[in-house]
Amino acid sequence: MNKKILLVLILILTVVAIVFLPNDKKKILRNLDTLAEYCSSASGESTIALLKKGALAAKLCTPPCMVQIPSHDIRRDFSKKELTDHILMMKRRLPEIDFNFYDTGITFPEKTQAELTTTLKLTGKINNDHFTDAYELTIHTEKIDGDWLFSSFSVIEFIEQ
Amino acid sequence: MEPTYNDASFAFCWRPQYAFSQIKRFDIVTVRFTGKSIMLLKRVIGLPGETLEFRQGILYINEKQIQEPYVRHRRPWNLAPRRIKPDHVYIVGDNRGTPMSSHVFGQVQINRIIGGVVP
Repeated sequence: MNKKILLVLILILTVVAIVFLPNDKKKILRNLDTLAEYCSSASGESTIALLKKGALAAKLCTPPCMVQIPSHDIRRDFSKKELTDHILMMKRRLPEIDFNFYDTGITFPEKTQAELTTTLKLTGKINNDHFTDAYELTIHTEKIDGDWLFSSFSVIEFIEQ
Repeated sequence: MEPTYNDASFAFCWRPQYAFSQIKRFDIVTVRFTGKSIMLLKRVIGLPGETLEFRQGILYINEKQIQEPYVRHRRPWNLAPRRIKPDHVYIVGDNRGTPMSSHVFGQVQINRIIGGVVP
């Protein structure tokens, strides 16, 4: 009887550990959600809040961070300051914008490196007109001092004119 | 996909549509990104191996003019002839009243197509 109770307890603890303890995959997904939150803006956000969110978003990335957007001929490393500046610029141009990531897959080519494939959905308003846009992204992350940081963002253009 | 489907309107993706049949020209299809949560709704206008071109907004396939009755407003799109790769189809939205540069269209691999649309 005691053995059965012990077995059930071990089973429950294992399930709890799997569900609640943070593992690398969960940490990366949480970082992605945090990045989406920092990049999103609601109308009426104060300048200080914008600056803070821009800086926090850049803090989730490695210095430098590679950005590739083939349709705009962008393929280069961005410093933390450049990233912050670009995020702020986007927030100023689009004061109401929501970032959300969907259908994220993660693979670990190495213990300290991960590759994500995900869909970024942008929704918001420009001049009182609603817009929706979506992009497929490949994101690389690196584990540095225990933290998973984004080291590259590439837009995958699967539609070719 | 205006005017066929209005923005914020509702439609179902019919996944079994291509289980037993081939994709045909003018089919409206759903195209996936990394998964099935976010999809594009587009019309197939070109099939593998065909040569496609736009002249002043008019579609030409293998140098023959194609009627597109579902297009209401047409901008004078010009796109040089291009051959559609094997295992690809050419997709475009029905709303051709937008400038070509701001319209998402082109060839995609057939395995990106999840299904058709109902209704």
